[in-house]
Amino acid sequence: MEVSFTNEIKSLKLGEGETFHGEGILAVTKALLQSGVTYVGGYQGAPVSHLLDVMVQAKDLMGELGVHVEPCTNEASAAAMLGASIMYPVRGTVTWKSIVGTNVASDALSNLSSPGVMGGALIVVGEDYGEGASVIQERTHAFAMKSAMWLVDPRPNLPTIVNMVEKSFELSEASNSPVIMELRIRACHVRGSFKTKKNIAPRISARELQQEPAAFIYEKLAHPPVTYRHEKLKYEVRMPAARKFIVDNKLNELFDGKHGDVGIIVQGGIYNGLIRALQELGLADAYGRTDIPILALNVVYPLVPDEIVQFAAGRKAVVIVEEGQPEFIEHEINSILRRADVNTALHGKGVFQMAGEYTSEVILAGLAKVLAQYIPAIDISGAGAFAQEAAELRARATQLLQIPLPPRPPNFCIGCPERPVFAALKLAQQDIGKVHISTDIGCHALATYEPFGFGNSILGYGMSLASGAGVAGFSAKRPVAIMGDGGFWHNGLLSGVTSAMLNDRDRVLVIMKNGYTSATGTQDLVSSPESSSKQIAEGSSATGTEMTIENTLRGLGVKWLRTVHNYRVSDMRETLKDAITTKTGGLKVIVAEGECQLERQRRVKPMRAKAIAEGRRVVRTRYGVDEDTCTGDHSCIRLSGCPTLTVKPATDPLKTDPVAHVTNGCVGCGLCGENAHAATLCPSFFRADIISNPGPVDRAMAKLRGAVTGAA
Amino acid sequence: MAAVKPRTILICALGGEGGGVLSEWITECAARVGLPAQATSVPGVAQRTGATSYYIELLPEPAPEGLEPIFALVPAAGRVDVLASSELLETARILERGFVSPDRTVLISSSSRVYTTMEKMQMGDGRFDDNRIHDAARGMSKTYHTLDLEQLASENGTVISATMFGALAGAGAFPWPRKICEEIIRQSKRGAAASLKGFNAAFARVAGTATPEPAAAEAKLPAAIPSDFSALPASSQEIIAHGIARVQDFQDREYADLYAARLRKLVKATGDVSDPRMSHALEEGARRLALWMAYEDIPRVAELKTRPARFERIRAESEMQPDQILKVTEYLKPGAEELADMLPVNIGARIMQRLEQGKSLPLMGRGMHLSTTSISGFLMLKLLASLRKIRRKSLRYGVEQKKIETWLDAMQSALQRSPEFAGALAELPRLLKGYGETHLRGKTNYAAVFDGIVTPAMKSGREATEASRLRRAISAALADPESAALGKLLMEKTVAV
Repeated sequence: MEVSFTNEIKSLKLGEGETFHGEGILAVTKALLQSGVTYVGGYQGAPVSHLLDVMVQAKDLMGELGVHVEPCTNEASAAAMLGASIMYPVRGTVTWKSIVGTNVASDALSNLSSPGVMGGALIVVGEDYGEGASVIQERTHAFAMKSAMWLVDPRPNLPTIVNMVEKSFELSEASNSPVIMELRIRACHVRGSFKTKKNIAPRISARELQQEPAAFIYEKLAHPPVTYRHEKLKYEVRMPAARKFIVDNKLNELFDGKHGDVGIIVQGGIYNGLIRALQELGLADAYGRTDIPILALNVVYPLVPDEIVQFAAGRKAVVIVEEGQPEFIEHEINSILRRADVNTALHGKGVFQMAGEYTSEVILAGLAKVLAQYIPAIDISGAGAFAQEAAELRARATQLLQIPLPPRPPNFCIGCPERPVFAALKLAQQDIGKVHISTDIGCHALATYEPFGFGNSILGYGMSLASGAGVAGFSAKRPVAIMGDGGFWHNGLLSGVTSAMLNDRDRVLVIMKNGYTSATGTQDLVSSPESSSKQIAEGSSATGTEMTIENTLRGLGVKWLRTVHNYRVSDMRETLKDAITTKTGGLKVIVAEGECQLERQRRVKPMRAKAIAEGRRVVRTRYGVDEDTCTGDHSCIRLSGCPTLTVKPATDPLKTDPVAHVTNGCVGCGLCGENAHAATLCPSFFRADIISNPGPVDRAMAKLRGAVTGAA
Repeated sequence: MAAVKPRTILICALGGEGGGVLSEWITECAARVGLPAQATSVPGVAQRTGATSYYIELLPEPAPEGLEPIFALVPAAGRVDVLASSELLETARILERGFVSPDRTVLISSSSRVYTTMEKMQMGDGRFDDNRIHDAARGMSKTYHTLDLEQLASENGTVISATMFGALAGAGAFPWPRKICEEIIRQSKRGAAASLKGFNAAFARVAGTATPEPAAAEAKLPAAIPSDFSALPASSQEIIAHGIARVQDFQDREYADLYAARLRKLVKATGDVSDPRMSHALEEGARRLALWMAYEDIPRVAELKTRPARFERIRAESEMQPDQILKVTEYLKPGAEELADMLPVNIGARIMQRLEQGKSLPLMGRGMHLSTTSISGFLMLKLLASLRKIRRKSLRYGVEQKKIETWLDAMQSALQRSPEFAGALAELPRLLKGYGETHLRGKTNYAAVFDGIVTPAMKSGREATEASRLRRAISAALADPESAALGKLLMEKTVAV
C-alpha cells in the first residue's frame, strides 16, 4: 500500500475527551469505532480510500475490538456485506467512490433496502463531484430516493461529521433502513479537530461470536411475494420513523437571522460556501452568525414536510441551494409546499446554475438576485462588485499571459511499467495503421493524455473488452481493449472475458499486470505478488512469477495467451502486431507484465540504502542523453512522457531549441534505451551504471580502463 | 457583525511534492499558538504528478468561548491573502483563475519549471515564456517574491515543501513567530534537520536577510575572430566565434577557414548591419551555417562520445561520489544510410544503390549495446571517430557542401533584397535535425519548403511578400511529426501579384 498510516492509527486509539487532529475521512473511521461497528468493507477509490486503508493497517486495534475488516474486489461485493445487518443486530459500514461505486453496488443495495435492516447499516460514499473529480458527474441522491435509503450530507466540519456518523447508525436502526453518508472531495480531505469518545467493542464481533445462525424468517428475504409488502413498509413505516428520528434528534440545523422575509435551505455539505457568500455581503460573520435564516439539511433525504413547511411559511421567499442535477430537493420541497398550500415563492435552479460545483462565487451570484427582489433594504452591491472584480482579474491575467497555458494532466509515474506498452502500441500502429482502442479505468487511462492520446471509449471499470464487442462487429481491423489487473478482477473477467469466450469472439485484450490497484494507492489484489516472491525479486519485477491471471484465463479456455515483459518494447510491439493481424480466431490476450514502479521503489530504496550503509557493492542504473549529440527534435519524449525525461536549455550557445535531458530522478527502468532501439531514435541515449562500494576487481578494472579511456 | 476575517492561504504544487506535509505543518503551528485553522485539498489523481492545490484558512485571533469559526473549503477569486506556488507555470494557472489580487495577495513563486508533456514533446521549442509569467505575477500581486525554491531545496538536501514553508514564513504569511515553525519542523518524523536548513535558507532569501549571490563572470569567447568581422555587433561576433570553434572542432583549421570565407560572403551581402533586421539575419545565418557544417555523422558522434569531459559531465549529472565507479553503455543502431554516408563517395553510392534496390546490409539496422568505458568499446568508437580524416572524401560531405552552397547563394541574394525573407531563410536549416527517420523527415521538409516557397519567391522577386509565409512554413514543419501542418500550408495558393 502506498501510504503508511502509523500516526493516524494512534489517533484511532484516542479515548474519552481527547482531541483528534486530522482529515475528515479519518474522523469518519474514528467515529465508526466510537459507534461500535462490527464489520467494515469497501472498495478503494479517492476520496474515501483512506477509511479502509487505515483499518487494514490497524490490524492490532481491529483485533482488540473484534472489528472485521474486508477490502472487497468490487463495490457490489462490499454492498452485499451489509446483508449481515438484515438478520443480526450488528452495525456495519461499507465505503466506496460514488457515483461509479454506487452504480456497481446498486443491485445489492436494492436487495438490502427492500427487506430493511435490524442493525445499523451505513454506506460512506465519496461524492466525487466538482474540482478534482475523476469520474462522470452524477448525484448519489438518485440512488437514495429510488431504494428508500436515507441520505446524510453533513456540514463539512469534523464535529458535525463525527456526530452524524453516530446518528446515522441510530437513524438506520430506528427506521430499519440503510443510510448513505455522502462526503465531497474537500470534506474528505478537510483537516480539523474534534473531541473524541472511547471506542466501543461491538457486542457481536470477531471476538464475541454469535453461536447460532439467525432464524429462518421469509419476510427478511428480497423475494416474492414479500417484496410487495417491503415496498409498503418503506413508505408507510420506515420513512415516517426516519422523519421522527430526524426531528427528535434535530439532525437538521436551523440558524435564525433578523431578515425573516427570505429563508435559505441548503445541503449541509455546501453550508460553508453559503456562509462565505453571505460574508461577502456583510450578512454573516466569521462564526457563521447570519442575518438571513438558514435551514441546513444534514439529512437531505427524506425531507421532513413539517420542518420545511414551518421554515417556509410566512416568508416571502425560500432559496434552495442545491448542488448538482437534477434538482431533487427543490422538486420535493415544491411538492411539500403545494400539498400544504404554502405559497411562499421558491427559488432554486431558476437563479443558480444547473450543473457544476457550487462555490461561494456561484452561490453569491444567485443569492443576490433573490435578496434584491425581496429585501430591497439590503445592500447587495457587494455581489456585483465581487463578480466584476473576479472577471477583471481573470481577464487581466489572460491578457498578460497572452496564450492558453499548456495543461498539466496527471502522468504515468517515473519508470511506470505501463508507459512502454503504449510506446509499443504507438510504434505498432505506425506499422499496421490505427486501430480502435477501448480503454478502461485505472492508471493506464493516463495514456489518453499526451504524448499518447489513446482511446476511443471509456465505459467503466473493467468494461473495455465488453465495450469493444459492438465495435468489433463492424470493424475491418480488430479493436484492442486495454485493461488493468484491478479492472480485470473488479469486473473485466466476467463482463469481458467470459462473454467473449461464450461467443467465441475474435478480440484482442491487453491486461496490465502490475500487481496492485495502483491508481487508488496500490492496494492488494488476488493476484498481488506474495511477500516471498517480492523477496526473491528484490529490485526486479515481482509480478513475473505470479500466474493467477494467466491460470484463470487458461482455465477459461483462452488459447492465444502471451505474457510479455513490458520494458521489452520491440517484443511488445511485435506481439501487439501479431495479436491484431494473426489469422487465429478467438480471444487473444496479452498479459503485459511489469510490477508497479511505486511498489518496486518502495522495496528497493530501503534495501539499497541499507546495503550501501553496510559497505556492500550496489549498482544503480540511470539513463542519460548526450547534450552534444542531441539535436532537439524530442521524438524520444513523444514516445515516453516520463517525468524525468525532460528538456533543458542547450548549454551550446549555437543551439536555440532545448535539448532532451534525463534528470537524476531516473530509476533506470530502461525504457529510454529500449525506445532508442525499437524506434531507431538517435545515438544520444546512454546507460550509466554507478557502482557504490566497488570491490577490488571493480577498482582494478576501472583503473585499467581509465588508463585507456581517460574516464575517471 | 464581528469584524474578524480569516486569513486565506493557497498553496499550489505538483503531486508528490509534499504539499500535504506543508499544509499539515501550517495547521499544527496554528494549533500550537491556539488559533483556529482549517486546511483542505483536492489531491485526487493529481498524486501522479498532476497539478494540485491546498487551501488553508485561519483566524488571526482565538475564537470566543462557545463559537466555532466557519471556514470555506474552496478559495475565491480575489480573496487569497497569501499564495505560494512550487512551480512557475502553476503560478500562471492560478493567476488565470483570478486568485491573485493586487489589493491583497502576497505571491511567492518558485522560478523553477517542471515542463509539461505538451511543452516537452514539441519538435522545436515548446516552452512557455517564463518572463511573461513573471511580468504578469509582478503586475497582478501586491508583493511578488520569486526564487528558485526547487534548487534551494536540493542544495539543502531537502524537498520543496520545506523551502516553501520558509518562504511563506519569510514573507510574513503567518500570525506567529518563526520559532513556532521551527519547533513544528523539528517534530517531523524524517529529515527534520534538512527541512530546517531548507526552511532557513528560503526564509533568509525572502525576508531579504541573505547575502546576494555574486554575478556570473563574463564568458570568454572560444575562438579568435578574424578582424574583418570586428565591425559587427557584439552578439554576432559571439556567435561567429562559437561557429569558428565548432567547425574547427568538427574537422580542422582549413574547414574553419571555409566557414569564415562563407560568412564573409554573407557579410558582404548584408550591407547595413546597424539595421537590426539585417544583423539578425546575419547572426542567424552564422549560427545555422556552423551547425550545418558540423553535421552529426558517425565519426562525429563517436568523437563526442569518447571525450574525457563527457565522462566528467555524466559523473556530475549523476551526483556521483569520487569513490563510485561509472560504467557507460551506448545505445547505437546505425542504419545502412549512415554507414554509406561516412564512406568514400564511390563505396557509399554503391551501398545506397543496393538499398534502393531493396537489399540490405549485414549487421546494419540492429541495435548495439556498446560500453564506452570498456577498452574494446572505447577503441571501437575511437576507430570510428578517426574516420573524420577521410570525411572530405565521404558521400555525405559532398552532398552537404552542395546543399550549403545552394542555401548560401539564396541567403546572399535574399540579404540584398529583403531582410525579413533573409531572416526566415537563415532559420530554415533548423529543420535539418535528428538521426535516421527524423533526419530524413527534416531533409524532406527542408526540400519541400525550399522548392515550394524559397525558389519561386526568388524567381518572381517576391521575397518581401513571401517572408511571413516562409516563417510560417518553418513553424508548420515543426508543428507535427507527420508533416500535416506543413503539407496544408504548402497547398495554400500564393497570393497573386
